[in-house]
Amino acid sequence: MLLQQLVNGLTLGAVYTLIALSFSLVMGILGVLNLAIAELFMLGGYFGFAAILAKLPLPVALLAGMAGAALVAAVIERVGYQPFRDAPVVTPMLSTLGFSIILQNVATNIWGSDPLQLPDEVFGARFTLGPVSASAMQLTIVGATVVLVALLAFVVQRTALGRALRAVAENRDVARLLGVSAGPLTLLAFMLSGALAGAAGVLIGLHYAAITPYIGVEIGLKAIAVMVVGGTGRIWGALIAGPLIGVAEVMTTAYGGSQIRDFVVYGLMIVILLLRPQGLLGGARTEQGPRV
Amino acid sequence: MLEIRNLHVSYGAISAVRGVDLDIAVGEIVALVGANGAGKTTVARAIAGLLPYQGEIRYAGRLLKPNSAERNLRLGVALVPEGRGILSSMTVGENLLMGLYTRIDRDQAAADLADVQSRFPILAERRDTMASLLSGGEQQMLAIARALLSKPKLLLLDEPSLGLAPKMTDFVFEMVLRLRDEGLTVLLVEQKARQALKIAGRAYLMETGRVLTSGPARELLEDHVLANAFLGAGASKA
Repeated sequence: MLLQQLVNGLTLGAVYTLIALSFSLVMGILGVLNLAIAELFMLGGYFGFAAILAKLPLPVALLAGMAGAALVAAVIERVGYQPFRDAPVVTPMLSTLGFSIILQNVATNIWGSDPLQLPDEVFGARFTLGPVSASAMQLTIVGATVVLVALLAFVVQRTALGRALRAVAENRDVARLLGVSAGPLTLLAFMLSGALAGAAGVLIGLHYAAITPYIGVEIGLKAIAVMVVGGTGRIWGALIAGPLIGVAEVMTTAYGGSQIRDFVVYGLMIVILLLRPQGLLGGARTEQGPRV
Repeated sequence: MLEIRNLHVSYGAISAVRGVDLDIAVGEIVALVGANGAGKTTVARAIAGLLPYQGEIRYAGRLLKPNSAERNLRLGVALVPEGRGILSSMTVGENLLMGLYTRIDRDQAAADLADVQSRFPILAERRDTMASLLSGGEQQMLAIARALLSKPKLLLLDEPSLGLAPKMTDFVFEMVLRLRDEGLTVLLVEQKARQALKIAGRAYLMETGRVLTSGPARELLEDHVLANAFLGAGASKA
């Protein structure tokens, strides 16, 4: 029972990790909380569903969700962030909140407010190992998350593009002195962030075999909690905090009841804010400088 | 190589640089000296393209645009900023690779990286160390090495001796002379005016956003009234 809950928690945590990485990528580089990410997650789910319903294979659905969400993220960056980049940080944040509401509204008008369901037979297979059983979809979620995080880590840590992103995150003036144009990299950061959120949307949509225009709100807020627990803007903090929150949530539901689930998740976030506001991977409390 | 005419830079309502004219010829070391707050750093940052400004800055006959640091670097103007500008979340090796960011000549860039590492062996030894763990002198070496990797023709050094021990300061100034001998043009912004004037060919003395006087560095050093008033006691005895 405990092992089974652990598997379920890790599956949920994998999705939280992807969305939290999506938040952290923009937060780490620009210091801005993109509140539209929750809706990019939702839209990614719808784009992925459209591909699955068109009988396209899962990798194509995943790519469709990522590409679609990345394109919408690009629009948000151009219209909702760039014009306000020199304004107080709350201004672009409010702008992305506006986008979030608009995107939810658009989704409701296109797909309706009722859940869009997938046929039961999609990814119905289950695998059992001793007392633990996992669906093909659960394994796909964890596998896809591992691959996407590894890809992101490779890009950020090992490529010239990643170094440039980290340079902009740490010191925009120094990055400019080294020839890095912050504008295109900002757009790229938004698009990468959108792609991660879109992937998470496809995976969670397939996991529940249903999606609604409102699915982004709750999971998006949980992802923000994951980001805070991991360390705001520390993109790798989500790798620890995502599974931690996912397992905590599932265990709480299993052993304490769903009525206290959110109390535990957001309580953990508040405890971290009180005792270690820099997050689990945030370094010393007084540390200045790099965020990524 | 560089001509500045009637440069004005403001931070909001505060006018930091007021009508500065400055010239640098190819292969020169020009010192820009003056007290803290005189506007020296602002001039260097304006040339590098980090600031909006009014007036004209021409480099190699080409009019530079304000606030266009990325373009200026590609044209050959590199700034080692005050405080060194080390990317502390990266290793020494990654900082050096950032110096190659604009390079498209991969083979030559790799050769230049090897050359810089032989010039600064400590950086090669500590390639995998986080840059934040280097000493002040090593960080300054890293900042200069990184700037050199972009293949600049004009190197702007802003307070390269800041926070360094005297021995390391001497090392940095000797290196500036070597770079000049290799054909690089240098604008040296320094508060340690005496030492800067010793290695510079010409100098500009700034006060409260204006150029107070300029001329051959040796003459400024030997002007007793000027040296005692602006370059610190004993400057003229150097």
